[in-house]
Amino acid sequence: MKKIILLTSLLTSMAFAQVSKPIEMPYVDYPVETGDHDEVVQQYCLICHSFGYILNQGKKSRPYWTGTVQKMVNEFKAPIPKEDQQTIINYLVKHYGYEVASGH
Amino acid sequence: MSTFNRRHFLGSSLILGASSLLGKEADQKIITETKNFVPPVIAFPEKKPLKVISDRPPLLESPRDIFTQPITPNDQFFVRWHMPDIPTYIDLNEFRLQVQGAVETPLSLSVDDLKSKFEPVEITSVLQCGGNSRKYYATSGQATHGVQWGHGAMGCAVWKGVRLKDILNKAGLKSDARFVGVNGLEKPALDETPHFFREMELDEALSGELIVAYEMNGEDLPYLNGFPLRLVIPGHFSDSWVKMLSEITVLDQYRKTFFMDVAYTVPDNDCECVVSGGDFEYKRKPIAAMKVKSVIGYPTPNTIIKKGSRIKVTGMAFDQGKGVKEVMISVDGGKSWSATALQKDYGKYAYRQWIYQWEPKTKGEYTIMVRAINRVGNIQPLPDEIGWNAGGYQYNAVDSVNVKIV
Repeated sequence: MKKIILLTSLLTSMAFAQVSKPIEMPYVDYPVETGDHDEVVQQYCLICHSFGYILNQGKKSRPYWTGTVQKMVNEFKAPIPKEDQQTIINYLVKHYGYEVASGH
Repeated sequence: MSTFNRRHFLGSSLILGASSLLGKEADQKIITETKNFVPPVIAFPEKKPLKVISDRPPLLESPRDIFTQPITPNDQFFVRWHMPDIPTYIDLNEFRLQVQGAVETPLSLSVDDLKSKFEPVEITSVLQCGGNSRKYYATSGQATHGVQWGHGAMGCAVWKGVRLKDILNKAGLKSDARFVGVNGLEKPALDETPHFFREMELDEALSGELIVAYEMNGEDLPYLNGFPLRLVIPGHFSDSWVKMLSEITVLDQYRKTFFMDVAYTVPDNDCECVVSGGDFEYKRKPIAAMKVKSVIGYPTPNTIIKKGSRIKVTGMAFDQGKGVKEVMISVDGGKSWSATALQKDYGKYAYRQWIYQWEPKTKGEYTIMVRAINRVGNIQPLPDEIGWNAGGYQYNAVDSVNVKIV
C-alpha cells in the first residue's frame, strides 16, 4: 500500500510541476534521548527547528553547546530562561557531547 | 597556503556567534565523531526520497551518485531552508514581487509580469550551500560547527528568468542607491528572530548575470527549491540565492544583519581560514565566490568491483566561473595521477563532467582521488592542506572514494 502511495505521488509530481493545492510536509520522528529534562530541551529547541539539527552535528564539546545555546538566545531571540539554558546545555553535553578533557 | 600549524587549528576556539565565550578546545582530544546518527531517507513533496537532515526547516541532502549527471534533476535537487515557517501554498494570482526602497517607481510584479514584460534569459549554474561537504573537515582535523553535510548540498540546473538588472532599471534607481537587499517568504517562528535578509553591493546586482528565476530545468521551480521565484547568482555560494523571493529593497546604506555579518562568514584574511586563535577573533567576511572543486559520482564509497571489469569512473567539477581546465585522477591514493576526459561544456558556471576509463587488474583496496584545476590556476588543496574555519564553509579539498577489487 505504501508503495502505491509513493508511486502515485511521484507520478503526480512529474505531471504537474506547479502544486495545485497546499503541499504536505512529512513529519520526521527523530529519536530523542529521554531523561535529564529532555522535556525542557524539546519545549524550547523545537520552537524553531527539529531535533535533526542536534543529531546531525555529531558529538560536540561543552563550550560548543554553551555557545550554541547562547547563539539561540542572543541572536535568534529564543525565550529561554537562564536556568533552563543550563539544563539544555547539560542535556546536550551528556547525550550529544563531551566534557573538554583536561591534562591528558 | 599549505603549511598551517595544525596544533593551532586544533587549539582554536569554536564558538560561532558567541564572542563572549572564547573557550579553547583541548589540543589532545580531537573528537570528530560525526557518523553516529544516520538520517532517514524520505520523499518530500515533488522530491524523490532524500536524506532528511531536518524536516523543519527542511534540509534534504542528495545522494553521491547524483554526480554522474551534469544537470541535477529537480526531484533530487538538495533543499536547505533557514526558517521553520514556510508557506505551503502560493497562489500566483496573489503573489507579487515587490521592488521598493531607493527607486523612482516602486514595482509590484506578478510572475506573469516577469514572463511577459521582460526579456527572458537562461543560465546553467551550480548551486552550492556554503556548508556543503563540511563533514570532511573532520577527516583531517577538527570537526566544524553545523550539521555535517556530505557533498550532497549542491546541484546544477538550467535557470530561466529575468535579469535583476532589468527589474532594477524598470523601477529606476535613485541617485543614493548603494545596496540591494533581498528576502523571501520564509518566516521565523518568533517575531524577534532576524529574518533571512541578504544584501549585495549595487554593482553586483547590476552585473547582468544575476537573474530572478521562474524556471528550473524547464519546469516551475519545485516548491522546496523556492517556487515561484528565486534569485540566481552564478558562481556564488547559495546564501544569497533567496527562495520564494518576494522583496527587492534598494538601500542607500548597508544594513547590518545576522545573516550577512555573523552567519556565513569566514576570517577576512588571504586563506579565509583560522591560522591561530579563535575564528571569531578575526574580522569577518561573508562567503561569496565558490572555490574550484571536483567530486566523484561513481563509484560510490565501498563499491565492490570485479577484477578486470571496465569501470567508467566519473564525477563533476566546477569553480567560480573561470572555467575548469583539467581534472586529474589517482587510483593509488595519490601516488600517481592521470588526466580525465572532460565532457560537454554547459557554460562556465555549470558542472563539467569528467570521465576516466579504469580497468583494475589486481585485487585489493583502492583509493580513488580527483583534483581539479581551473583556468586561472586555482587548484584543489589536499585534505590535510585545506584552511580550516569554524563554520565549516567552502570545503573544496580533493575528494576520495575507497573501493574494493575482488
